Amino acid sequence: MAKAKTKPPVLEWIASAIGLLLTLGVVAVIARDAFNGSAGMAPDIEVVVREQQQVGSRWLVRFEAHNRSPVTAAQVTIEGALPGGETSTATIDYIPGRSTRGGGLVFSTEPRGVRLRPLGFQDP
Amino acid sequence: MTTSAGSTSPDLAYAKGLARAFAGAIIFGLPLLMTMEMWFLGIALHPGRLVAFLLVNFVILVGLSRFGGFERTDSLFEDVMDAFAACGVGILGAAAVLALFAIIGPAMPADEIAGKIAIQSVPMSFGAMIARKQLSGGGAEPQDEKEAVREASYGGQLFLMAAGALFLAFNVAPTEEMQLIAYLMSTWHLLVLVVVSLLLLHLFVYRVGFAGQKERAEGHGAVRTFLAYTIPGYGIALAVGLFVLWTFGRVDGTAYDQVAATMAVIAFPGALGAAIARLVV
Repeated sequence: MAKAKTKPPVLEWIASAIGLLLTLGVVAVIARDAFNGSAGMAPDIEVVVREQQQVGSRWLVRFEAHNRSPVTAAQVTIEGALPGGETSTATIDYIPGRSTRGGGLVFSTEPRGVRLRPLGFQDP
Repeated sequence: MTTSAGSTSPDLAYAKGLARAFAGAIIFGLPLLMTMEMWFLGIALHPGRLVAFLLVNFVILVGLSRFGGFERTDSLFEDVMDAFAACGVGILGAAAVLALFAIIGPAMPADEIAGKIAIQSVPMSFGAMIARKQLSGGGAEPQDEKEAVREASYGGQLFLMAAGALFLAFNVAPTEEMQLIAYLMSTWHLLVLVVVSLLLLHLFVYRVGFAGQKERAEGHGAVRTFLAYTIPGYGIALAVGLFVLWTFGRVDGTAYDQVAATMAVIAFPGALGAAIARLVV
């Protein structure tokens, strides 16, 4: 700095303020969970159908899996079952806490009355 | 581009510079060229986000040519020319190595090939720019007046920190491990990580001091240095982390606290990248 011992330039104030805001913001969001004791909680996954469509000779059911707990689940297997007995499964690598991930299940018949549920998961 | 001293023909010097650029591109790009997630990202990335990422990369390249390096450029036009050349080297280098590894081949659709090359060209163009600027050896003496002025610019310093942060963050961000680490860490781990990142950033740049690195700005106390460089530097690392996560589609459908956790993880290499920016670029 050519002008040492002078008042800080405006850009320095701005950069410092933005940096401080970002840092404190991230810390605040992370720290929010420190005190509500999520340690003993388990993933809580709810699966809903987003859309159904015919793809060639097969049927595709697009779903969304939402994890309602703050705890992340890995390798989540989602199963769709038709009243006729046909089943289809898909595996989602990660569903972070309070987050949503999507996927698709393929059936050979029209998936009327399809029921979706998580079969299981792995702790990350 | 200015030619390095000691060469008889400017064209020969430029050709040497280009050869150096290819070498730098491959050295800097190789870790990501051999990362599986990067190949899938080339296919799976949202096209708009890929274009945004390439544009940001181009701006970084122009800035690197302007602020970084030991070779003086005369005009912004020259910097833009240099950036285009680095992009070209990045694209050609990525295409050559990906083809050599059979990751791209003639049987693949054109958009898949283009996507894979485009994403890989980013780290390679960065390496190309650094190599041409840095590895050029006996170039012009950096201590002329113009360089000194540029050296002192605070905005330029922040820019270099952003470039360093982007490069190091991008080198690790595509891997699945980034998310996994964030999920494994408890809240307390993450808070300690933030403090450690800030501490290292502060120590690395303005206390330890590398050879040939800018000394702690004279007349600045530790507090002013912390507020003027460390805090903005970490903010830059966080922002760069968020941008990279957004580019890779890791923000979509994800809760704020999970995004913040992954940002903190990526900001660790990002902060180190920002800290050593003056050393590398």
